[in-house]
Amino acid sequence: MPKLNPTVLLVIMIGIGFQTAFVKSITMNLIVAGVTLLYLLLAGVKWRYLGVMFAISLPLAFATWVSFIAFGTGNTTHLAWVYATRLYAYLFLGGALTLTVAVKDLLFSLHRHAHLSSTFTYGLLAAFNLLPRVRRQVKTIQYAASLRGVTYHLWSPHLYFKAVLSALQWSDDLALAMTSHGFSEGFPRTDTINDPLPKWQWLVAVLLIAAYAVGAWVIQPR
Amino acid sequence: MTTLAVKNFSFAYDTGQRNILNNISFSPVAGSFNLLIGPSGSGKSTLLKAMAGLMPKFGGIVTGGQILLDGQDIQPVAPFERAKRVAMLFQNPDRQFAMRTAPEQIAFALENIQLPAEQIQDRVADVMTRLNLTAFAEQDLMTLSGGEKQRVALATILAMDSDIILLDEPFANVDPQARQTLLHDLQALQQTQGKTIVISDHDLSGYAELVDNLYVLEATTGTLQSASLTRLTNLAPVVPFTGHPNPAGDLGWRQLHVSVGERTLLTGTTFTVPSQQIGLISGSNGIGKSTLFKALTKQIAATGTITWAEQDARKIKAKAWAKRVALIFQTATDQFVTMTVAEELALSQRQTAYPDFWTAERVADAVAQLNLTGVMDHIVYQLSGGQQKKLQTLVMLIMGQPVLLLDEPLAGLDQDSVQAVMTLLQSTVHATQQAILMISHQRQGLADFIDYELVFAEQQLRLVGGATHA
Repeated sequence: MPKLNPTVLLVIMIGIGFQTAFVKSITMNLIVAGVTLLYLLLAGVKWRYLGVMFAISLPLAFATWVSFIAFGTGNTTHLAWVYATRLYAYLFLGGALTLTVAVKDLLFSLHRHAHLSSTFTYGLLAAFNLLPRVRRQVKTIQYAASLRGVTYHLWSPHLYFKAVLSALQWSDDLALAMTSHGFSEGFPRTDTINDPLPKWQWLVAVLLIAAYAVGAWVIQPR
Repeated sequence: MTTLAVKNFSFAYDTGQRNILNNISFSPVAGSFNLLIGPSGSGKSTLLKAMAGLMPKFGGIVTGGQILLDGQDIQPVAPFERAKRVAMLFQNPDRQFAMRTAPEQIAFALENIQLPAEQIQDRVADVMTRLNLTAFAEQDLMTLSGGEKQRVALATILAMDSDIILLDEPFANVDPQARQTLLHDLQALQQTQGKTIVISDHDLSGYAELVDNLYVLEATTGTLQSASLTRLTNLAPVVPFTGHPNPAGDLGWRQLHVSVGERTLLTGTTFTVPSQQIGLISGSNGIGKSTLFKALTKQIAATGTITWAEQDARKIKAKAWAKRVALIFQTATDQFVTMTVAEELALSQRQTAYPDFWTAERVADAVAQLNLTGVMDHIVYQLSGGQQKKLQTLVMLIMGQPVLLLDEPLAGLDQDSVQAVMTLLQSTVHATQQAILMISHQRQGLADFIDYELVFAEQQLRLVGGATHA
């Protein structure tokens, strides 16, 4: 199956996701969730991932459903199902982007096709590359505190204050190094990004968003 | 040929503060190899960063003079134009990469300097081969050793083909062998390609054959002076520290086996860390010294038995273990829990295991000994690298865990500071009966302080002068 370009995926996600926020239709939510789930499976996302996603979101969907049944006004049963299914529409819609595209590819694609600035692209990329180190740093901070007779729990603001401080320090050093490696804000760079975006993919995006609009606003199923 | 000239340059960290660099004039001759030395905190990093055009953009103010790149003020030159002519390699190998792998990082730099796209792949492959990095092409940069990271950084500079290469203590976390390799690489660059090299270092060994000019940055005056090259040849030879560890101590291990992923670092060693003594662990970088410390402090899992007074460490909870065995990190800032120097000291004084020993007076003496008196209300993150190391060692010494594992406590310290730190460690362990085991590549001036040496090689720890394997 041809994969959709990350930028196109993002446009579809926003185009449909934005409308979904205003549409109170169980059918439309189920269609979006179903189609995106199908896309995820065709794109080769592991069942295990989807299972974990489903398991984590189930209590949330249930709680949403219960709270509308218990405290809602008007047609509570309908609204409860709308909001419970909407959660899955959003979950799989988001997953269609985040589970099939690496952060680097998304950023490069947006840089290439959506004029995302170099500073933003490489700044974010550097930050994402630092994430594993941030996780390790949190552990180190906890240990360093315990050596001094201080306990930092996972909910201690101090822990995150220290983590942010470390991150700030890293970002300074990183900016220094990037500058020294010639990175210049507001100047052109050689573009070596290879991220094809055939025109038909834009057509797919337009058709999907339009189809959703027709479904949601013209047909208006329950 | 690119020229870089520092002309009557003065620089301060902030308005109203004294000049850290004072009226400095310095023009490295094209194609020469220059070594810059000076005590920690004397402003070597600052001078090099200014020469790379990074200051005052990243802090501080120019209070006089200027730095000229090809006769033009360096500041307004765009970074990509600068990088083609002058590039810098930083002290901390962990924080100079924006990308995940070496080829991506090198390509990133080449895109920055707007090398035509079709040349980039070839140039990347070329420098990867020249610096023996092809084996690491797919590897996450974060997983490389300090020396390997610095080679990647050097490869990046080499790819950009900068004429002038500035290196700010690039070997602080690099073992002697890797350091030798890197120095050799630099010499080759200077001799075959006419690169101008300016390098700052504390360790003068290995430079005698390489250096054309030696400069000293004076900490008190902030001035730069040319010095005689004989300083590089009259070095004390490296001698192993022979000595016998006391048999008695609390922390010990039997048949300890340490590995990272698939790789075995240490196999089946047995040792007891003796009280009241200072031991040195030496060995090449990446051989597993820091990892051993992480295992002993229970930061990572290891097989075999670690014991405390014959009790199995597995039966002792992490919190209680942290009160017995303490790790003094290689990265000083990781150790700090509060914001200012005074707060750091106050916290340790409150929590110390030896409140009678660490009186206010004794702490003040130690602070003075380490030359930290003037920075008591400074933010710890704004201290110089050397000051951070000294403060870190002091606050952990005051905490008073019975066993202190120091990972490179002397990295980036000048000789006076090394003497001050070691004197303090020695007098303290003699009084408190603490045990100290330290990893240090820096061994100059340590003869009077080290009681025994363990050499880490071939997955074994061997006691120097000992008949049996430790």
